[in-house]
Amino acid sequence: MEALTAHLSQLGHGLVTTVELTVVTTVGAMLLGIVVATLRIAPVPLLRAIGTAYVEVFQNLPLLALLVLFVFALPTIGITFPLFTSAAIVIAVYEGAYLAEAIRAGINTVGVGQAEAARAIGLTFGQSLRHVILPQGLRAVIQPIGNICIALLMNTSLAAAVGVVELTQAANNVNLVEAQPIAVFTGAGLAYMLLALIIGQVTGLLERRLAIVR
Amino acid sequence: MSILKMSFTGRRSLALTATAVAVALAATGCGGDSGGSTPALPGNPGLGGDGVIAQSVYDAAPVATDADIPAGSTMEAIRKRGYLNIGGSLDAPLLAQQNPVSGTIEGFDADMAKLLAKYIIGKPEVKTTTIGTQTREAMLQAKSVDAVFQTYTITPQRATQVAFAGPYLTSGLAVGVRKDETSIKSVKDLAGKTVIVGANTPAVTALPSAAPGSKQIAFGTDPQALQALLQKRGDAYVQDFTLLASGAKANPGMKVVGEPFTTEAYGIGLNKADAQFKEFVNNWLKKIQADGTWAKVWEGTLGSVVEGGAPTPPALGSADGS
Repeated sequence: MEALTAHLSQLGHGLVTTVELTVVTTVGAMLLGIVVATLRIAPVPLLRAIGTAYVEVFQNLPLLALLVLFVFALPTIGITFPLFTSAAIVIAVYEGAYLAEAIRAGINTVGVGQAEAARAIGLTFGQSLRHVILPQGLRAVIQPIGNICIALLMNTSLAAAVGVVELTQAANNVNLVEAQPIAVFTGAGLAYMLLALIIGQVTGLLERRLAIVR
Repeated sequence: MSILKMSFTGRRSLALTATAVAVALAATGCGGDSGGSTPALPGNPGLGGDGVIAQSVYDAAPVATDADIPAGSTMEAIRKRGYLNIGGSLDAPLLAQQNPVSGTIEGFDADMAKLLAKYIIGKPEVKTTTIGTQTREAMLQAKSVDAVFQTYTITPQRATQVAFAGPYLTSGLAVGVRKDETSIKSVKDLAGKTVIVGANTPAVTALPSAAPGSKQIAFGTDPQALQALLQKRGDAYVQDFTLLASGAKANPGMKVVGEPFTTEAYGIGLNKADAQFKEFVNNWLKKIQADGTWAKVWEGTLGSVVEGGAPTPPALGSADGS
């Protein structure tokens, strides 16, 4: 216990970084997910192919390998981002593939009649997507999106491998001094659990207010 | 003076993957499998080939008498099992690095473990479990491994959790910079600079007091940290002197400046409750220091990148906590 309380500010900084990384990447991944899901249902074959390629590539590569490639390979061709930015971009791009699939599943729950009706009243593809399809599709998959956000939170710990001092790395640093891994990592684990519970609660709340009962 | 360090890495498994990728794509200069697949080929230059000890060193190493191994002791259990179960690394050049060709683990730590196995069992049979620095104490307390050979720095706080035999090696942190860097001449010049360290190495805790005002960024493995330095993510890389020296040898783009500014004493981590085993290991260390085996191991591994002969081995019990 003392091993934790003596380093609260260090762990607190790590926790803040984890929360920041989670929020930034969730927003980024959500936007990417919507774009990619849209590509996958677009009427143009080339756009569908791009969306499919995106999902296949990023769902089938390990996040850690992507992080290491982004952080250490890009500088060899002259592109260097700050570490936090690098981690945020990579995690958003990676989780975007998963969110795209969840959103596409939501879109598939929207009745074909809805799309036909939208077209019948003269809406373009973009308009029917924005005003008819996406609002209904997203509201159908709030719970799966929440689960992906919890996985995203856990995946932010991989940023420690490329130099971002988030909660896991902060716990590593504290343990280096205190040599009490069980106490330190139990504490860090409880913090992750708390954050995941908060995401779960928000998801539940949104679901109760927004989900469409069919 | 000095020797080495490197205990990196948290999340050992992550780090291994990361290292593999980083090395593959970044050409960090590790020549990889430069031969040396059998102990009969000592002194093969280049990383990967270093760290090979002549078979004669193993053949001449001492073996404990039956009187040294009482019934019911940990040593007896190890002898009956037929191999020594240690916690260590596979990715630490000159300390414990797995040879990609032969599969054997080479380096100072690895050889010390094999020699302890020879002392207990009569043959250098070691099973290495790769562990992260964050789980060493828990592994020893749970008796998942007999001993930890992983440049395990002895500290009084750690000594409340585990027993340390030794120290068996001392080294110190030093400063590495890019070749064209002229404003950094020692650790004193690091104030206000961005400094790269290995995650979970003593540098993480030593740097704030040695260079107040420096900004720290940590990478999981030594190859990553070196790459980060060369890619200008930081102004300097603080790591064990020997490790930096071997990095500088492999990477013409970097150099080591100044003398080591800390003293790290590495111990063999053992179960806290097993005082008998600690005394046994300390007696073995005394023997191999006295008969010159220790110096031969040093020369074959770390000595390949440090000028001058083998240093005087550290006095047993000399570190606070050992």
